[in-house]
Amino acid sequence: MSTTASRFAARAVRTAAIITAATLLVSGCAASSGASSGGDDAQPTTLRWAFSLPTSWDPVTSRTGNDINTVSLAYASLTQIDKDGNVLPSLAESWKYSDDGKNVTFTLRPDLVFTDGTPLDAEAVKAFFERGKTQEDSFLKDQLATVDTVSADSDVDVTLHLTGVDYQIPALVAGRTGAISSEKAATDDVAKLSTWPVGAGPFKITEFVPESHATFEKNPDYWDADNIHIDTFELSVAPDPATLVAGIQSGSFDVATLPAAKIDEAKASGLTVTVAPSLAVSDVSINANKAPFDDPKVVEAFRYAFDRQEFVDVITQGQGAPTSQPFPEGNPAYNPEVDELWSYDPDKAKQLLKDAGYGEGDLTIEITAASFSEQGAEIAQSQLAKIGVNSTISLVPPGSSTWQSEVYIAKNPQLAIDGTIGRETPVQNLLAVYGPQGIMNLSGPNASDAFLAALQKVRETPLDDPGYQAALQDAVKAGVEQSPTNYIYSSPWIIASSPKVSELNLLPSQFRWEDVTVTQ
Amino acid sequence: MIDVLRAALRLPSAKIAVGILIVIAFLAIFGPLVAPFDPYAQNSKDLLQGPTLEHWLGTDDLGRDVFSRLLAGSTVSVLAAMQSVVVGLVLGALPGLLSVYLGRTFEWITLRIMDSFITLPFLVFAIAMTALLGNGLTQAMVAVGILIAPAFYRVTRAAALTVSHSQYVEAAQLFGATTAWVVRKHVWKKVFPAIAVTTASMTGASLVIVSSLTFLGIGIVPPEPTWGGLLATDLGNLYQRPFGPVVPALVIIGTVWALNALADALKDATTDAGAPPVSKQKRRELQAVPHGA
Repeated sequence: MSTTASRFAARAVRTAAIITAATLLVSGCAASSGASSGGDDAQPTTLRWAFSLPTSWDPVTSRTGNDINTVSLAYASLTQIDKDGNVLPSLAESWKYSDDGKNVTFTLRPDLVFTDGTPLDAEAVKAFFERGKTQEDSFLKDQLATVDTVSADSDVDVTLHLTGVDYQIPALVAGRTGAISSEKAATDDVAKLSTWPVGAGPFKITEFVPESHATFEKNPDYWDADNIHIDTFELSVAPDPATLVAGIQSGSFDVATLPAAKIDEAKASGLTVTVAPSLAVSDVSINANKAPFDDPKVVEAFRYAFDRQEFVDVITQGQGAPTSQPFPEGNPAYNPEVDELWSYDPDKAKQLLKDAGYGEGDLTIEITAASFSEQGAEIAQSQLAKIGVNSTISLVPPGSSTWQSEVYIAKNPQLAIDGTIGRETPVQNLLAVYGPQGIMNLSGPNASDAFLAALQKVRETPLDDPGYQAALQDAVKAGVEQSPTNYIYSSPWIIASSPKVSELNLLPSQFRWEDVTVTQ
Repeated sequence: MIDVLRAALRLPSAKIAVGILIVIAFLAIFGPLVAPFDPYAQNSKDLLQGPTLEHWLGTDDLGRDVFSRLLAGSTVSVLAAMQSVVVGLVLGALPGLLSVYLGRTFEWITLRIMDSFITLPFLVFAIAMTALLGNGLTQAMVAVGILIAPAFYRVTRAAALTVSHSQYVEAAQLFGATTAWVVRKHVWKKVFPAIAVTTASMTGASLVIVSSLTFLGIGIVPPEPTWGGLLATDLGNLYQRPFGPVVPALVIIGTVWALNALADALKDATTDAGAPPVSKQKRRELQAVPHGA
């Protein structure tokens, strides 16, 4: 090697060493200066979730049960539910019923604050419930019907004075009904809360683009912040199911809900697939306020029209189970007697239609379905054809509010392919699907006295009473019998996640992000 | 006109194109009748199957025979494309011809309308029309027809303008020929080939738009089969049926190619009217020969 060459090589080595040292120094500084949940020397972590955006970021005006999954990013509820349905402390560290069961006092954790810096105290909780009961566009009125007044007894004690005995309240306030929003934010600009949540949840919103995405950062003041290990949380609207697996593989997002048909593909692509119990039950909603379903004989005929197993085989690829009630098998509210009431019998359905005056091909109805439920609508159409009923399918285009305005608010369809994702309490779910103001009661405000009486009995029975489950199952049966809607099948959570995401925290009623970690 | 067609068909590409279009026309008319299975019949025991002797192209996510749905879908796809072309032809060619003879006001108004149509994007306008008038292929294709009208307007007007200012037409008018006679005897003969070329190429463009719209689920009411709809279903189940989109895509590509090839041949035949048509390869060879002294 010549002298010039060796001098050049020595200079190159020196330069490389300086660059390497500088890089290490800079990256070391960056790592130690970044806010991280994983320790001082860890990189900040980001989790990208492809799901849906809530109908409103304000728990008071949010309309669907599914919203709890996303609203709970920004809000903490007074209580929380565990995997077995037990009520646990959250914002409230304890609660106590009065001896007559007509008052329940929640004791809040001390020094709670909202993400706007204002205190989350008894007055804030009182203001939230009063807003839920009185705000014109509130969707909590039905849920809070048994709450008469609310009093702030001290900074941390708040009492709900009930119109009657109701032992469901601690479980009820584990969801949207107890997702406390900032009193100051509501007073300043209540409309803004629907697009800019101000709560005391695990994350604080930093960006929201309607119909697109929302970005959050970890809320260090969340009461359970020690168990949140995600620094930045990106929530986006899930793309077409055809691209979900590729989206996770490419890193566009880390977690997404999968259709059952994609399980094998996701597993083959090296993704983690979690199948966990959920409260989701799909149905064929029927509107008794629209002909021909104002005729009980037609309603009765449709009870026998649907082959539930076919829905399970095709849509859930065998992952779900047939059910005739708004609860999956295994849930305490599930009533085995109900599933024996009407089995698939197309001949009987045809005969009942004939008795109602409709021969083969005489009856034509419209099936309304969201665009993602097209498969269910086509199966229903095919099965109705077997009992001599013609039908057309009307697809409601995608969008966060189109289905709500067309079906849940206007209640326009004759028959709709719908479903419940469940609620924190069975009573809450029964109210949503069968109650007079129930969002999924397509025949609303119809609700029988027998059902409402059965529901009241459940409310009045303590959850640890030996007769509680029987009362609950009686209410389910009363609800099913009085409603023309046919529940068809239950389906589990089917979630695909990137291998860099740890085990998910999936409750039957909602996603939680405590204890979930992600490596970058 | 027959001469133009005959001259066009001397090209091998035109012969293949016409052959493909005859098959597609047959499928559009008789497809649903010759389908081996009911294209709407579901079978939950036979979901997402690959090709078999029984189901040549396999089954879809509801167990329906894909080959039967492809045949049945031909009618809707082709008719929808033709529907938009007919709308475009009526709204474009007729005003284009009349703009030469009905005075400057009519000319100015129609030109401005056509200019404004050109600024609108096809898919967005079609989606807006279905949102406004209800989800249906007729609504969507009428919207597309409106937007392709400027193409017919401009070619018709250009051809008519050329002829209307020619000496033999002016001579005929001096001898007392009426405008209707001039249009029938002279203008129409020159305008028709241009319209034929535009019709062929616009049918291809419309077919792509129909397929795009039905791929997006716009304009069709389930469970109606369409080529674009089949493509969308197959793309959603690529893992189970990786070959699934191939055949619907080939059918769309083949039909559009055939229409464009026919348009190309018609254009060549029109341009070289009176001279024997030559292939593009031959033309390139001729152009490569050095000219001049």
